[in-house]
Amino acid sequence: MHISDGVLPVTVSVACYALTLAGVAWSLKKVDSADLPKIAVVTSSFFVASLIHLPLGPTSVHLLLPGIVGALLGPVSFLSVTIGLFLQSLLFQFGGLTALGANALMMGLPALACGLLFQRFRGQTRSSNSLAGALTGGGGTLLAALMLAVLLATAGEDFWGVAKIAIAAHIPVVLIESVVGGFTLSFIFRVKPEMLTSKPDEAD
Amino acid sequence: MIKGLETRIIALPLGPALLLAALLLLLCLAGFAALRKKRAQKRDPAEAPDWSVPVIDTHAGLSSPFHIWAPAVKVGTLFPYCFLIVSLRSLPWCGLALLISLLAVHLAKIPWQRPLRRLAAMTGFLLMFLVIVPLTSPVQPGDTLLLFPLLEAWPFRVAGLVLALTVVLKACAVALLMEPMLATAPLPVTLQGFTALGVHPALIEMVLLSHRYIFVFQQEMVRMHRSMRARGFNPGTNPATLRTMGNCFGMLFIRSFERTERVFEAMQSRGFRGAFPTGARPALTARDLAKGGIGISLGLLLLIVDRLFPIL
Repeated sequence: MHISDGVLPVTVSVACYALTLAGVAWSLKKVDSADLPKIAVVTSSFFVASLIHLPLGPTSVHLLLPGIVGALLGPVSFLSVTIGLFLQSLLFQFGGLTALGANALMMGLPALACGLLFQRFRGQTRSSNSLAGALTGGGGTLLAALMLAVLLATAGEDFWGVAKIAIAAHIPVVLIESVVGGFTLSFIFRVKPEMLTSKPDEAD
Repeated sequence: MIKGLETRIIALPLGPALLLAALLLLLCLAGFAALRKKRAQKRDPAEAPDWSVPVIDTHAGLSSPFHIWAPAVKVGTLFPYCFLIVSLRSLPWCGLALLISLLAVHLAKIPWQRPLRRLAAMTGFLLMFLVIVPLTSPVQPGDTLLLFPLLEAWPFRVAGLVLALTVVLKACAVALLMEPMLATAPLPVTLQGFTALGVHPALIEMVLLSHRYIFVFQQEMVRMHRSMRARGFNPGTNPATLRTMGNCFGMLFIRSFERTERVFEAMQSRGFRGAFPTGARPALTARDLAKGGIGISLGLLLLIVDRLFPIL
């Protein structure tokens, strides 16, 4: 769920933009400028994966994937998430342009946290990687939902009800992301394990 | 929950309330049925679902005041204008901002289907506000509460509805402006406007490249989905679907990581040295700047009247 324009107080939107720009500048410093095109190409695949809807009873849900992006890209995941969200706003209006800073923090910070957690707990076996993948997959979405609730709560007491509903609406997505994240990272561990230990520029 | 003697409570009679509920239900059912019918007509069940990505600059070749506006000034005007719009607080002025955005779309000569699709994308999020905020926001002294029969435990706060409508109008006003701002020039030219405003060129290059490869991976995903269907994959709410999709995402990411090297080598062989060549920036004319002046003045004027004459 992305925040639309006009929901957050303008001071919060501007502050989030400032923090996002700082985060992007930090990410840009973390990577060699010649490798930026590679991260851009990988970002496209995350973008496409987040468009896929998985059936859930009579309806369907699409994945947010902050945890998996964090596990695969590490410190540059913030940059990747910000670019992906800008494109989602540009092409689909998923998230407002004035709320881009807030949306980038909401998805980018969980991605960074999950990247660290995954590296810390993934271990050397397939089952430990699956478990760490499930934790980061579900954990990333849970953190993003909590950040969404916190951001909505900054808009005042009137929006606290919406914040609670938003968290509740994310619970099925957290469960699905957790299972899919476990399978995805287990698959990558079996097929191309070097992707989990290094950045995309060093993958080959 | 109800405090303060000044709070006005209006209890709706059962008859009209039931009629209203029945009408709403009918409307929802009709909408749902129409959507299902449209989807059924559109799609062959054996084909991949609609994962298509709209092309932002399809209508960049038209001619309108927005198309001939220098991108740097256009983006430099409309981006801060959007922030001025989201700063508004009062419902009528937000409505006026929406009317101005509608006029901008009309002037930009963009087919209405595009901006309407943007509004449709926000429907779920904004509907949640329209329903939840009036029911859950705390009651203040002087509020008017509507009590629906059988739902007396959930008083419907009129001020909450006004607040939610304000949010909806602002969101729509800004979403509509996205088309005149970002779809009236080829994407690289529009993004060059952001560079002129101080955005790091590397970031703009990454956006352009990501945008290019979205279409490549979207096609790849459609191919993968087709081959999964050919092998008997039938998506449903079950662990097997999650496992198959998990593996499918894994494959997509592996292919994208492998593709990065080939893309990078192809770019280097074509002379890429860390930056894309950009065309000469168009010279700014007095007309471009005048449009910028009008845009910012309009936004400031809206903000001033919003603060001086807060109606509702």
